[in-house]
Amino acid sequence: MRWRNPVFAALMLALTLIAAASEEAGVSVRNAWVRESPPGVAMMAGYMALQNNTSRSQVIVAAHSSDFETVMIHRTIVKNGMAGMEHAPQIELAPNASLIFAPGGYHLMLMNPKRTLRAGNSVVINLEFRGGPVLPVAFEVRK
Amino acid sequence: MNKISLKFSIMMTTVALAAILAGVWLAASDRENDSRARLLPDRVMTLFPVPKPLTAFALTDHQNRVFDLSRLKDKWSFLFFGFTHCPDICPTTLAILARARDNIAKSVVGAEDVQFVFISVDPNRDTAGKLRQYVDYFDTTFLGVTGNDVQIGNLARQLGAAYQVAFAPGMENYPVYHSTAVFLVDPRARYHAMFTPPLDAETISRRFKVLRQIEGAKPT
Repeated sequence: MRWRNPVFAALMLALTLIAAASEEAGVSVRNAWVRESPPGVAMMAGYMALQNNTSRSQVIVAAHSSDFETVMIHRTIVKNGMAGMEHAPQIELAPNASLIFAPGGYHLMLMNPKRTLRAGNSVVINLEFRGGPVLPVAFEVRK
Repeated sequence: MNKISLKFSIMMTTVALAAILAGVWLAASDRENDSRARLLPDRVMTLFPVPKPLTAFALTDHQNRVFDLSRLKDKWSFLFFGFTHCPDICPTTLAILARARDNIAKSVVGAEDVQFVFISVDPNRDTAGKLRQYVDYFDTTFLGVTGNDVQIGNLARQLGAAYQVAFAPGMENYPVYHSTAVFLVDPRARYHAMFTPPLDAETISRRFKVLRQIEGAKPT
């Protein structure tokens, strides 16, 4: 039986706790994924769809993960026909609004992973909101 | 079957037949109209009325072989400028190009006459070995190419590809800016078309197959 597998049970418990925590913060996250990096590349990007379910604006002031040395909120911007990255010190979610982190736009820049992450793996990144709440989000590594 | 529903069926059959005939006629006229106009207008692909012949340049590929103008002859080449430390645009674009290549390879003509070239504008970090690992990950047929700033600039300028490396000594993660377009060079080494974001594999492969068919049918 699947439930007898302790690893699976622990994973399910963790995912349930993460889901519960996200509800508490008033912000829900869907489709959170990290692009698998080519060998030898220590830079990855994380994407997600954020939804603010509250009538107050919510501000993400930082992101961190025990699986990466550094996590930063970045935005790809195109200027003078060139794409570059801009560091976003914080990001505001308007009341009841959604915000998408997607290729070519906002992304979590994930530097120096501490373990090898391959498609199918899961990695938790904590989003820190102004005022203190921390929302752990499970990101799926995809190719 | 009562009279009304029979009448209705006949009517629907007639409509369906008319639609099929119209479709056949449209397809036939599309084949007759064997011109580049079939590819216009387009927001993804910019096709140049007069392809621009490229002039000599010299770069080095991921196997340390010379990559010069002759390497662009007798093949369609998709060129993209970037760098391997790029977490967002470059892997996204290369994954799209890998899928586009798969689509092209599945067509009757195949992908034998097509090459995909990733040109790193960051030779300081992107050595031949790094480039080989990097491009192989996306598609084992992809080529990784680089050179010094003058050499890269020589090809980039001819394609109107902008880039800037804000390199500072001792700085590990210096910013690199680069064009997001994919450039298409034809088998006569002429800059033929440009794909601009938002890119998607299906559009690129579909447009390319039509373009190759049209150009292939032309007397040279």
